[in-house]
Amino acid sequence: MTDTDVSAPEVGADPSRQRYELEETGFKEVPKKWRKFYRHWGGPLDTLAPNEVICPVCKVVIRATRELRPGDKVYCMPCMSRMVVVVGENGRLEAEVIF
Amino acid sequence: MIVDDFDPHALAEQDFLDEVHSFQFWFDSVEGYLSDRPYGRLETTVDEQLDDARRERLITTLCNYSVGETAALEGAAGLVQLAPDRNSKIFMATQVADEARHLEVFLHRLRELGVADPEREIERRAQPALVDFKGALLDLIGEGDWQAGVFAQNVILETMEYTVFRLHAATADPVTKDVLAGVISDERRHAGFGENDLGRSLAVDPSGRIRLREIRNQLDAMVVGVFEGALADVGAPADSSSELAGEYLDTIERLGLT
Repeated sequence: MTDTDVSAPEVGADPSRQRYELEETGFKEVPKKWRKFYRHWGGPLDTLAPNEVICPVCKVVIRATRELRPGDKVYCMPCMSRMVVVVGENGRLEAEVIF
Repeated sequence: MIVDDFDPHALAEQDFLDEVHSFQFWFDSVEGYLSDRPYGRLETTVDEQLDDARRERLITTLCNYSVGETAALEGAAGLVQLAPDRNSKIFMATQVADEARHLEVFLHRLRELGVADPEREIERRAQPALVDFKGALLDLIGEGDWQAGVFAQNVILETMEYTVFRLHAATADPVTKDVLAGVISDERRHAGFGENDLGRSLAVDPSGRIRLREIRNQLDAMVVGVFEGALADVGAPADSSSELAGEYLDTIERLGLT
């Protein structure tokens, strides 16, 4: 997918979305100020919260301070990927890489 | 209302790229997972006594990891000169440092396992196909071809190493597991850089895909068998080979190179 295919906004300050207070979970692969936005994925049994998606490139869990919705753009800093949130075949939110 | 000053998802794309390609980002990242780990291992980790057969297999595996890391070190150093912009040059310089460290920790682990002369042992145990891959990679870079060099190194080699190291770490002895953990964290950046750099350039000029498919056809056979063999040597589960192929093919598919 390329950037021109995606016209949706970044994760914005939409007040109707549930807010999440993020805390560090032990993920240390990015500078400290960004660490709470990422966590290690625990495998297929790891249940994702509404503010989380898995990076398809490096399998890190990407976290946002708000509930994610289709069209939101998120970044995976550990692998430097930019992606858009989509609804997957199973009905769950997934991330698709944007080049 | 809680206002977060540092929301990465709110960054503009160029600000994001400036951040993640910077030496400062690299330094603050590796500080998080390499501090207090001399040669990649926690000082508190106790080495496990390996039986002869397992030790032999591990030495062969580490020798071949060293061949791969030497290829990546020399390749990344060559790619610094070819990088099309300053951010990419800076990122590639951080990768040079990473690859040198990987090579060093694998050599150190070989010595811990009783290998007195790692250079000689690597020469003796190196898989010919991996040595051939190294030669092909350096030829592409020697020809001044950034896109082909990034594809061969940061996509083919790094994606496979990233997957194999993770699968190996799941069954490794505690010290090797420590060493691999730091390497895996680095490989995440390298593989991601390669996929995203190529993805952006192919989005602008899709014609490059034809040549990259040809390169893939030439190089795939050199490395797939080697890494499948490495997984067997380290006792990875039987379905690991399909995971290796699956993750690699996912990357290839995202880049439109199937």
